[in-house]
Amino acid sequence: MTQQDNATTTTTSSENAAKTKAATVARSGRLSVPDLITIGVFTALYFVLVAVATLISTVAFVGFASIFLPAIAALISGCVYMLLATKVGKFGAITVMGAVIGLFLFVSGHFVLSFIASIVFPVIADLIARAGAYRNRAGLLASYVVFSYGLTGPILPLWFMKDAYVASLQARGKDAAYIDGVFSHINTGTFVISMAAIAVCALAGGWFGQRVLRRHFVKAGIV
Amino acid sequence: MTAHPLALDPRTKLFLLLLANLLLFFHVHTHTEIMLVTLTLLPMLPAGRWRMALRLGATYAALVAVSCLVPADSPNPWLHLVALLAVGLRMMMPCLITGAYAFSTTKTSEFVCAMRRMRMPETIVIPCMVVIRFFPTIVQDYRQIRAAMALRGVAEGRFALVRHPMQSLEYVLVPLMMNAANVAQDLSVAALTKGLGRPGTHTSLTVIRMRPVDWLAMIVCATPLALDILGVL
Amino acid sequence: MSHVTIETDTTASIITEHVTFHYGSAAGASSSSSERPTRDALNDVSLRVSPGECVVLCGRSGCGKTSYTRLANGLIPTFFAGELTGAHHTAGIPAGSPVDAFTPIVGSVFQNPKTQYFNADTTSELAFPCENMGMPADEIRRRLAETVRRFGIEPLLNRSVFRLSGGQKQRLAVAAATMLHPPIMVLDEPTGNLDARSIDELHGMIARLKESGTTVVIAEHRLAWCRDLADRFVVFEHGRVIGDYTARDFLVLSPETIMSMGLRALDMRPYRAVVEAKRHDVTVRNAADDETGPMLRTRMLRIGYGRRRGMIDPIGRGRPKRGEFLRDVPDLTLRAGRITALMGANGTGKSTLVRTLCGLLRPIGGAILWDGKPVRAAALTRRAFLVMQDVNYQLFADSVREELMLGLDENDSEIRRRCDRLLRDLDLETLADRHPMSLSGGEKQRTAIASALMCGKELIVLDEPTSGLDRFHMRQVGLLLQRLKRAGRIVVVVTHDEELAADWCDDVIDLDPVETSSSI
Repeated sequence: MTQQDNATTTTTSSENAAKTKAATVARSGRLSVPDLITIGVFTALYFVLVAVATLISTVAFVGFASIFLPAIAALISGCVYMLLATKVGKFGAITVMGAVIGLFLFVSGHFVLSFIASIVFPVIADLIARAGAYRNRAGLLASYVVFSYGLTGPILPLWFMKDAYVASLQARGKDAAYIDGVFSHINTGTFVISMAAIAVCALAGGWFGQRVLRRHFVKAGIV
Repeated sequence: MTAHPLALDPRTKLFLLLLANLLLFFHVHTHTEIMLVTLTLLPMLPAGRWRMALRLGATYAALVAVSCLVPADSPNPWLHLVALLAVGLRMMMPCLITGAYAFSTTKTSEFVCAMRRMRMPETIVIPCMVVIRFFPTIVQDYRQIRAAMALRGVAEGRFALVRHPMQSLEYVLVPLMMNAANVAQDLSVAALTKGLGRPGTHTSLTVIRMRPVDWLAMIVCATPLALDILGVL
Repeated sequence: MSHVTIETDTTASIITEHVTFHYGSAAGASSSSSERPTRDALNDVSLRVSPGECVVLCGRSGCGKTSYTRLANGLIPTFFAGELTGAHHTAGIPAGSPVDAFTPIVGSVFQNPKTQYFNADTTSELAFPCENMGMPADEIRRRLAETVRRFGIEPLLNRSVFRLSGGQKQRLAVAAATMLHPPIMVLDEPTGNLDARSIDELHGMIARLKESGTTVVIAEHRLAWCRDLADRFVVFEHGRVIGDYTARDFLVLSPETIMSMGLRALDMRPYRAVVEAKRHDVTVRNAADDETGPMLRTRMLRIGYGRRRGMIDPIGRGRPKRGEFLRDVPDLTLRAGRITALMGANGTGKSTLVRTLCGLLRPIGGAILWDGKPVRAAALTRRAFLVMQDVNYQLFADSVREELMLGLDENDSEIRRRCDRLLRDLDLETLADRHPMSLSGGEKQRTAIASALMCGKELIVLDEPTSGLDRFHMRQVGLLLQRLKRAGRIVVVVTHDEELAADWCDDVIDLDPVETSSSI
């Protein structure tokens, strides 16, 4: 429920409030309803940025659109991530954000494995951020890099594509060894590049996000 | 409150989504794939989404045509690239079609009700509700911010966003996030006073029910895949 | 679930004894910058509200009336954390109990219509409290039908909340708050930014609640609309209760006394008469058409928007997004050095008109003339500025000074001097290094205007600058308008506020819902 600050000297409530504890326990470590709402609001923003990233990567890399999707998303959504992690400052916020994104990706027709990726990586990211008590800048940056890999789910099917094509050629009775050879190095090459790009972009985006956080949100007293 | 006799339960839609995902793992025959795509397009019709069905169906047909027309022994690698893309996209189409169907025909309340019925924890359900609630706000906010930017002459013109991407991003994102933080607080107040934080079961005005048509849809759509995997088709 | 008859028993009363509260800095407490009071939000407040009574809490902003409503609906001290002493019970539930415990007892309506609904569609929003209480679907449906009948809100059902007007949203909020049949309703400045008709409708709903025996607590400084509803007026100042009047005693107080309490007028009739006279003057003067000097005129202007036309902002406030809007505007003359109030009910196209005047929308037909020469939309955007109702969207920089210098050359000493002068003129000097978002609403407004003056804007439009403001802050806005007027700007104020229009504006233009306007 809410942040029931036990330090408050509510002389009135002391005797009765304890009895009305039917409500959810409000331990400071657990996500409260306001926390969940904050997570929802920022997840929506993150989701919109992912959509923007999809648009950019579609325009910039026609065809293999989604290969650089996670990298571009990592570049532009650092602010949202940093603000959410700092504002909620509890274990679970990052995980829930990842899970909700995964759920929406799945329901909107993305590959089911993207759901798993968008849970596993955020959980690790959450653990890293918790180690720095959601305040340590390097810790948050590292956690953001890990989190950004959570979006690799939607591009996983690309690795199936070649197999599917080879299979379709074989189905038509052709020898696909040649094709296999042509695309093998493209596949490995793009994989390495796109994975490295995520790390680089996440570092840049996370750094930018922390700068915006300091310049605006800390200064304005929001966090 | 009465649903269309042929409207499907959200859980059925989820099943169809999973089914479409299975297609990615198993390389089914083209005719099985075509059959499944046709089947998944059908439920869009009673939902009044015939235009969507038509568009997706046409896209799929075009992709099938391209992937079959490229000669398999062509020495031109670019032709193969095109075919590879066509096959890749074709492979994704069943997911996209079922996704588009699920997304466009499920009301928020049905979605929430389905999640609660499937014993999804509130920790996930509440953020999902907020995401859906907050999307339109983001769109409205963005328009306001762009108008404000135009009035101030900052990041003016179509290419400003391209020339100063990070600066423009900051101009747009900071007011968006400031507003988001305020909305989060107001929504919390609204939700708490209306009892969202109450323990115990939360019911739903919307009734979702698995009906014979749901089971039928599930069976009909699963059959071609199963037969293909078993090698019958 | 208990039923109406059982719930309206004698426990439906609020008892507060010697409560003192100040907001702590704990997370979850107000993060919005405007509410971070340094002194006690409530200071030794003792108050008793009897069942079925309608009490209006009034006083200037920050006087503690909003804090008291939060105490009554349980948000203080659990959600808005802080230090609380004294005893408070709402229908027997002590302060400090979880907010959940208050849910079935207190229905709450808040100030901002945009952010107080949790669901994207209206029917779900109405059902929401019942769903959270775990009522079976049949029971929810029964209550829904009953509430719809009770308040006549059939037309609001099954719609996207985003397509409702501010007034409709507020009616929905009241209806949703009554779904659990709470014996107590608490409303925090519910009319903040509504036009006269919406206020009337809200008034009707609350009158019905009162008839049915519901205890109603309203925090409000616009008193005219609730004068006949209230049984008692409680005046707050600096967190204290400084006056507790029966309605009969309060309503005979002189307008000066009311004003000195920081309250808005009880009787709007004198203001309405002045507004009407100013409106008439405009017609006469425009017929004479003798004045010269810089001015903005419209000729046969047709404004509107639709899905197919390219435009920056197709969303007028509270307008249904679906469909198109189109209307003809009577020819206007806006003069430099005069303050023109643009009035008229919601839906008459005031926002569309000012957006067109600022070049954010292109006119559908007709022309806008600046000093007699036609101007294009892009040129208007360069010369005009719109202070939006939600000024938060217009502040981009990380300090007030930076905000003014945005896009300008910081090394130019002439520009720096101009910036300093503006900061001084608009009383922003001491705030120059603060983050704009940490300022109060009025300070934000001044910062936005300073930024407009910095760019040399000649037409300044303010959209509802006084919505939700008390008398003191309205006066501040009025003084600001006068300052812009003296600086020789064309000043246009879109407003429903008759007090502002009567006291501070020179001309009044009423944009009637004329026959020529049509929604396609």
